[in-house]
Amino acid sequence: MTGSDNIIASDTSTNGKIPLGQRLKASSQTIWRDKNNRWHRWLRTLTITICSLVIFLLLWWDLALLVQTAAIPTPDKVWKAAVDLFTNGDAVTGISMWANIWISLRRFLEGFALAFLVAIPIGMLMGYSKTFKEFMDPVFEILRPIAPIAWAPVLLFATGYTWGPVLVVFIGIFFPLVSNTVFGVKKIDHSLIDAARTLGSSNTQVFYKVMFPCAVPYIMNGIRVGSGIGWMCIVASELYASYGGGIGYFVGIQASIGYWPNVFVGIFIIAILGILTTGLFDYAHKVITTRMGME
Amino acid sequence: MSGDISIEHLSKTFRNDSTSTVAIEDFSLNIKQGELVSLVGPSGCGKTTLLRLIAGLEEPTSGLVRIGDHICTAPGPDRGMVFQDFALFPWRSVRGNVEYGLEIAGVPKAERRDRVDQYLETVGLTKFADARIHELSGGMKQRVGIARAMVTNPDVILMDEPFGALDAQTRNIMQAELLKLLAKTEQTIVFVTHSVDEAVFLSDRIIVLTKRPAKIKEIVELPMARPRDRASLEFTGIRKDILAELESENVMN
Repeated sequence: MTGSDNIIASDTSTNGKIPLGQRLKASSQTIWRDKNNRWHRWLRTLTITICSLVIFLLLWWDLALLVQTAAIPTPDKVWKAAVDLFTNGDAVTGISMWANIWISLRRFLEGFALAFLVAIPIGMLMGYSKTFKEFMDPVFEILRPIAPIAWAPVLLFATGYTWGPVLVVFIGIFFPLVSNTVFGVKKIDHSLIDAARTLGSSNTQVFYKVMFPCAVPYIMNGIRVGSGIGWMCIVASELYASYGGGIGYFVGIQASIGYWPNVFVGIFIIAILGILTTGLFDYAHKVITTRMGME
Repeated sequence: MSGDISIEHLSKTFRNDSTSTVAIEDFSLNIKQGELVSLVGPSGCGKTTLLRLIAGLEEPTSGLVRIGDHICTAPGPDRGMVFQDFALFPWRSVRGNVEYGLEIAGVPKAERRDRVDQYLETVGLTKFADARIHELSGGMKQRVGIARAMVTNPDVILMDEPFGALDAQTRNIMQAELLKLLAKTEQTIVFVTHSVDEAVFLSDRIIVLTKRPAKIKEIVELPMARPRDRASLEFTGIRKDILAELESENVMN
């Protein structure tokens, strides 16, 4: 028996029963060498991300030292402020950071839910009925280009500090959601509707059994885009509000009294929550379109 | 049940702002129940329009289509259709697609299940009942399409180039399987194709159409027994004649 025969023989005989140590050694080698290995790719992304963030931190630090203004504190001061704020709460407003986060998040979700309930039926109908679209279009074309935040002073005055920010979020999400829904309905493969009709569907059945599922990936995309805008709206509208809490409100108060490290803590919380919400909707979009077989 | 089709003085003109296109003009044809009739003709001659008129997906400009003893103006459960691009619902499973027509017809769940199982077995997709549409090959997709059209047991099945999107080999397999499937039923089939070979292999009668507006150029009766041998002299002879007919209708002339 030659050497190579021997290897093949032992390979097959121990198939599935390779000692753990050997397996780990083998897999650690593939992680470094095999570029298509899952862990290899994951490690690579992680390393690059960490490098990117560290360099950003160092640049910020440098810049803060260079410009020497109180409005741009160094990272270490911001970190100390963050630790203090989360352990002792905010002494100025008397509201804990978690309470502020919860207030903003709740407003965001309320505005989002409202937009979801209103925008999807309107978008579906606009895609379905030409007359309805022609009826809605003039109003939409006037209102759409207006930055949602422009409504903040009006809505805060008209509906108060509880509903005002919620309605600003609603406006921010509403328009991208409607236009994506309309687009989704318009993009439907016409032969699917023909197929449904030849199988005996009424117009109503075509509408909710074919047109709606067809539009779902586009609706999800609208939600994804809208949630990013909605998150900007909530913070901006809270900046206007003179009481009621929320991260935007917190940032506004801290800036007005010159507690800049606290302002930066607020800004970072906004960024993290923004990443979390868009990440969540990105994931939902991906899972739903894949599950529906409509990538 | 009656799957007799009679098309009487059917015309269809498509109009938009600047142009009007006459797709079909004064077209009459009778198809008997249980017949498999193919429509062949130069591309763009209006054969798909004719099929869509029978399906009720288009409204005739004048004339009418009669199935059995009623005039059809809208799609109905007496006619099933199979599409070239399959037109399957991607968010439904294989079973969900086949089930669709029964669901619309309000068939109870248990009976729906049995009927779907039976048809999935006929098209050889029992194992794929819960598969997603995008997991299937082209040939399998069209089997779902055929099962979906047949499960409600319509009198007429309209097939619009059903194998046009498949590769040559799969095409031949599907043609043979379709014939096996149809041997057990009394359904009338109207089959649109641009492949003369396919038409000769499948049909009881071939309607050769002229270029637009579609008129009947010739009707070829095919009494040969099935399965037909593509290499036989009779087969190749008929094929050659029809190809020559179509050549003379070439849009270039």
